Amino acid sequence: MKSGFGLFSPAPRPDYSACSGCSLCLLVCPVWRKTHDLTLTPHARAKALQHGARSTDIAASVESCTLCGACEPACPEEIDLVGMMIALRRQLPRSPALQAVHDRMDGAAARPLAQPASNRSFLPDAALNKRRETLARVAALLGSAVAADDGADIALALETGAAVPAPRLERFLAPLRAMKTIVVADGLLLRHLRGWLPRTKIAGLGATLSRLPAVQRGLRTTDLYVIEPRAYHADHARLVRHYDRLRVETGCAMNLDLQRIAIPVTARNLQQRLGLEPPDDSAQARWILHRRKIQRIVVESVEDITAFEQVCDWPVVHLADLADDGKMIAGVES
Amino acid sequence: MNTAISGTFGHCPVAPDALQGIKRQQTNPSRWDGANWPEFAAALRARDVELQESIAARGVFATDAGGTAYGLPHGVVIARSAQQIAALLQTAQQYRVPVTVRGGGLTTEGESVAFGGVLLDMTGMGRVLHVDAEALTVRTEAGIFWHSLAEELRRHDLDYLSAPLNLTSSVGGSLNVGGIDVNSPRLGCSADQALALQVVTPTGEIVECSDTRNMELFQRVILGYGQFGVITEATLKVRRYTPITMQYFYYSSLRTAIEDLQMLDRSNASDYSGILTIMDCAVNLLVAFDSPERKAAFRANWQPRLRGRGEFGFALCMLGRYALRPWKLPEAWYLYQRKRDVFPEFRRPEHLRNGVMHDRTVVFSRAVWKHWGSRQMVIPDLATSAEKFVEAVERGNAVCRKYFPCYTLYCVGIRLRADHRPHYEMSCVPPDAEGWAYGCEFEPMTRGRVYSRDHLQSFKNEIYDIGVDIGASCYRFGGMMKGYIRRIFGDALVDRHLAMKRAADPAMILNRDVIF
Repeated sequence: MKSGFGLFSPAPRPDYSACSGCSLCLLVCPVWRKTHDLTLTPHARAKALQHGARSTDIAASVESCTLCGACEPACPEEIDLVGMMIALRRQLPRSPALQAVHDRMDGAAARPLAQPASNRSFLPDAALNKRRETLARVAALLGSAVAADDGADIALALETGAAVPAPRLERFLAPLRAMKTIVVADGLLLRHLRGWLPRTKIAGLGATLSRLPAVQRGLRTTDLYVIEPRAYHADHARLVRHYDRLRVETGCAMNLDLQRIAIPVTARNLQQRLGLEPPDDSAQARWILHRRKIQRIVVESVEDITAFEQVCDWPVVHLADLADDGKMIAGVES
Repeated sequence: MNTAISGTFGHCPVAPDALQGIKRQQTNPSRWDGANWPEFAAALRARDVELQESIAARGVFATDAGGTAYGLPHGVVIARSAQQIAALLQTAQQYRVPVTVRGGGLTTEGESVAFGGVLLDMTGMGRVLHVDAEALTVRTEAGIFWHSLAEELRRHDLDYLSAPLNLTSSVGGSLNVGGIDVNSPRLGCSADQALALQVVTPTGEIVECSDTRNMELFQRVILGYGQFGVITEATLKVRRYTPITMQYFYYSSLRTAIEDLQMLDRSNASDYSGILTIMDCAVNLLVAFDSPERKAAFRANWQPRLRGRGEFGFALCMLGRYALRPWKLPEAWYLYQRKRDVFPEFRRPEHLRNGVMHDRTVVFSRAVWKHWGSRQMVIPDLATSAEKFVEAVERGNAVCRKYFPCYTLYCVGIRLRADHRPHYEMSCVPPDAEGWAYGCEFEPMTRGRVYSRDHLQSFKNEIYDIGVDIGASCYRFGGMMKGYIRRIFGDALVDRHLAMKRAADPAMILNRDVIF
């Protein structure tokens, strides 16, 4: 189960049937932290499926998940919990909100293809797209062009469990196939891009920026560095070492728990992602800040800025803003 | 007992002649027949207690970590407050509906599985209520996982004293049964860390108890297997957080390793100690220290007396062993694989700083789940006085060899508190233990193989028979193993506790399938 005989291909990841019921996923689950309702956790979903439940039987649980991915590195059986959740969402009846997601993808599929200008591309997420100044700063730091098609509709489809039509996916991937490096802000999209484009180097925005010396120079020992959880958890075995080094070298605090799993700030369920319910990130933000002796918050994800600003008076800056402290010249260190 | 090997297929432990002389134990408690359930459910809801009856809600609790006992409750109540639990128990008494309490659900004998009635999920009460960094105490709701408590305590630069190495045991569950850690040789079991408790009695009174207040209730609830009340809050001793340094010694003899372990415990030579075997010829004695001073003292005074080897020396020893016994190469391959897979878990760089291990409970517990966890687990155990321990482990090891190709033994000492002797009555602590009790868990490595319930039950019976024979106790004597309770403790003691239980719980509703 944990190792395969194949020398050159990784063993397939186990599914829910491997769940032993250890409950380690609960310890890191923001939904469980908020509700303390076992039925809304990966543990309960796996147990329900083991005993013959269908997606519709556990619809409330399937919709409650925030897809932060924290449960995956916590799981000793290495179950593909995010993949399992997306598959379960696909089996739910299509709601009017999901139909709108489909319409958006159909519209995007019909647009003409733009030719890429370089072999490096950057895919911002929806929140970063709304902050044009930060977006420009990030693009300059990365030395990458912002992709004409950022796949935001596909990211939303993945989140909601809507199937991505083949023409839309092909239109999205066609220009990316020419890339050597793609930096992705949306952690869920990043996870899937690695499967779709296995030969391309695909990296998360936070991990990429935090490797830049100019950015690292801007970090202080009194900072709380907030890792974007989806990209981190999708590549946890590798990134845990990167962030551990960063923590040692800079002395900053991080939103890591004792298992070195990132505590998500913006933890939103399906209804909140679809805009059908207002977000409520304050409890998560408060828990991350609880008894921290810090003077500034540095976030990888623009989405987290508002959540922190609502619960504290400390300045909240994006990682890209740190480069100014180090007199970064755009593009030089990319 | 006839255990002779016959024919060419070897001994079959579930053959018709395999259980001669071994009493078969009850493996499925009688199921409550559901009488008065609709009336009870209506009465409960009239008191504003939320009761979940959907199959999705109930199915989550169909089994425990052992995965061999299955049962379904009629309904589930998620614990939210002592008042809510009091209302539940009062109503349950009135309608004679069983209530099974579940914390982390890490029992292995079905003790936290409800065979009908109400399943009370205590994890709903998981808040830390107050941390007193000066007095080094914490007041917490009892459904909290030890690891969640550790997360909160770390923000105060504190840590709990000792808890089971699995992260997801609940505080209340551990106080009910014991809770063993590798620092138990110095600090005792988790149950001995409790200073005070809030308990909801089986008849629904909310009572505060401690060594000085409602002392008799405190004595019965601690290590009481949930028979005399539901622990809703606990005040626990805590300590300053310290990272640790680890050191390993390897033995090819169980007896020698145990003797050295006990010598270290008696001498207070280390802050942590325990034995974990890969095989009975590859025994790992681990010691660890909270400070460089303690480690230096150990190296100067005690390490020279140990008969174990370092990793390199032991590897050479094993090479020699298998060079002379080439027919045992599969065994050598297993040892190599186990070392390759398990050892890196204990050396994860993100938990190490200059050779010092941070968050050792995370490191140990994750390794335990990753390399020992599975959907089906049986972990029979024996708890003895120091004097009887070697015999118990050696005989238990022989039983393991008979039933499984691969298994692990985990041995640890438990410092006893003389003033808590009343707590230990009819518990995992054997009555003849003075100073320390010693526990050994016998855990088969099923490695994806499926064994019949008969095979597993026969294995457990043989281990527990050793306990009966030598006058030991055990940690997991409830649930499916409760047939051993009278054999272990004797009729007089069990009847006295049964009378107390009947007085405290007239309708016998609370955790009724666990002990009596």
